[in-house]
Amino acid sequence: MTDLSSQLLLYIGTAAGLFGIGLYGFIVGPQTLRRILALNIIGAGIFMLMVVLAYRGLAEEAALTLTDPVLHALILTGLVVAVSATAFALALLTRLNQAKSAQCKPDQLRHGQEPEQ
Amino acid sequence: MMVVLLVLPLLGTLFMLLWPKIAPLLALLTASVCSLAALQLLFLVSEQGNQQVLLAGWPSGLAISLEANSLSSLLILLTALLQLLVGLYAFATHRRDKLGAGFWPLSCMLQLGLTALWLSRDLFNLYVCLELLGIVAVALVSLSGDKAIKPALNYLLLSLFGSLCYLLGVAILYGAYGVLDITVLAARWQADLPSSIALLLMTLGLMLKAALWPLHGWLPAAHAAAPAPVSALLSALVVKGPLFILCLLWLQLAGATQVAAVAPWFAGCGLAALLLGGVSALRTPFAKNMVAYSTVAQLGYAMLALGLLLRFNQPLFAAALWLFVLAHALAKAACFLAIGEITATLGGKRINTLKGASQTMPLAMFAFAVAGGSLIGLPPSGGFLAKWALLQGLWLQGGQLFWLLAIVLATLLSAAYVFRAVVLAFDRADPVAPDFAPRILPQWLALLPALAVWAMALYSEPLLQLLKQEGL
Repeated sequence: MTDLSSQLLLYIGTAAGLFGIGLYGFIVGPQTLRRILALNIIGAGIFMLMVVLAYRGLAEEAALTLTDPVLHALILTGLVVAVSATAFALALLTRLNQAKSAQCKPDQLRHGQEPEQ
Repeated sequence: MMVVLLVLPLLGTLFMLLWPKIAPLLALLTASVCSLAALQLLFLVSEQGNQQVLLAGWPSGLAISLEANSLSSLLILLTALLQLLVGLYAFATHRRDKLGAGFWPLSCMLQLGLTALWLSRDLFNLYVCLELLGIVAVALVSLSGDKAIKPALNYLLLSLFGSLCYLLGVAILYGAYGVLDITVLAARWQADLPSSIALLLMTLGLMLKAALWPLHGWLPAAHAAAPAPVSALLSALVVKGPLFILCLLWLQLAGATQVAAVAPWFAGCGLAALLLGGVSALRTPFAKNMVAYSTVAQLGYAMLALGLLLRFNQPLFAAALWLFVLAHALAKAACFLAIGEITATLGGKRINTLKGASQTMPLAMFAFAVAGGSLIGLPPSGGFLAKWALLQGLWLQGGQLFWLLAIVLATLLSAAYVFRAVVLAFDRADPVAPDFAPRILPQWLALLPALAVWAMALYSEPLLQLLKQEGL
């Protein structure tokens, strides 16, 4: 962890910045959609950090010519998890909004099913 | 054996999705076969020592390695048995409670995620297990319809945030050391700044996912909103997964200075969880929320035991930690099933609904009281065993009067919230009339784990020995 060229530092700084932005959005953002997006930005920051580490995680002389395949595999797995989790969160959000709009019109519901008990 | 334990739930889930009509049957079958396999694994481990499997014959370092020691095989057995029991309960009540068809494949996936978690000794595999567990748990919570969506979404967001924190820690550790396997990592461990940051990030994420105080805010809403069998699974098993990883990290990886710095914080958080969780359980007007807050409080015991174990390195605390986990899993499953059965039959969510329940639903109320006895720590239950190990460890250290008094206070608090429900149940003057005739089978199923937690006392000696030497 000693020999960090300025380019790598820039990348790591960007990754940290993305993480910070996402963290701010997650903690502050009142809307659920914004918080979901903020989680994605955090994820992007972490994956970027992992991409950068893949270049410098190996032995010193091999750095920048060879990359670490393990980290790439980890990023792929992480991306799959992040995408499916985001999809799930969005689906839940849609259902929440549907439930809310159904609650606003209880007259229509009375004919169909019971409103929320 | 370990591969069977993982493949079976996965296959079961696939077949359930293919043939939804026989899904309950498949779920029960999977859970029972897995219980037998887990029992065999436990025997195997106790006879031949720790077992390790490298998947697909790859060399170690490249392969996904699964490792079973006696603690993880015990936890696998517990998972499979509780899954079977809750599956039976859900099967007995799914028509009445309108449990969605999604319950069966999801609960099977839950079993898969937990089993994989108990067996993994690799930071990234643990991350994948955590994610799987979190998403499945949220999906299970959302099964109970529109009113559960909001807590489920909140749970999902916080759980994802926790996993991302954990992932960032994993990335930093991999960048610093280039390995993910915990045993190899422990050999190369240096207590420097990056590793401390990574450990803290992972701890934050895991504490959020395990609902350890002060990051427990999501738990009562989510567990109370879920259907009764789901709450039983979540409270009994799911929150223990992140706790297990937390113990792995701090007991196996962390250096001495890091441990010394964090141990008092862990113990303090545990104590705060015990007291504040107990007070919240005492104040809440809803029956299921009371049980959920009691989960927060009881997790405090595990946290306290972990903090004391890190501080004093006394094997009795390790035994106390895992005994708490086992006893709480059984007792909480019984509590949630009993309360779920009572509230469904008597038709109400408030604690006042329990009025006269000792007359109308004696079996379920007995199950709750017996499980509550273990939560309080009345002898000779599993909870008592754990508390005894904790107190004995403190006594052997000497001069720990503060912690002894704190534990006594926490015990009084848990007695207060359990008795609050029990006293109401014995108020037979004006009992709440049941909406329909109480059913016997679900009540017996709720009683089973409660009896099992008292039966733990019969095997106290081997359990204590096993958990003392294990301690991860």
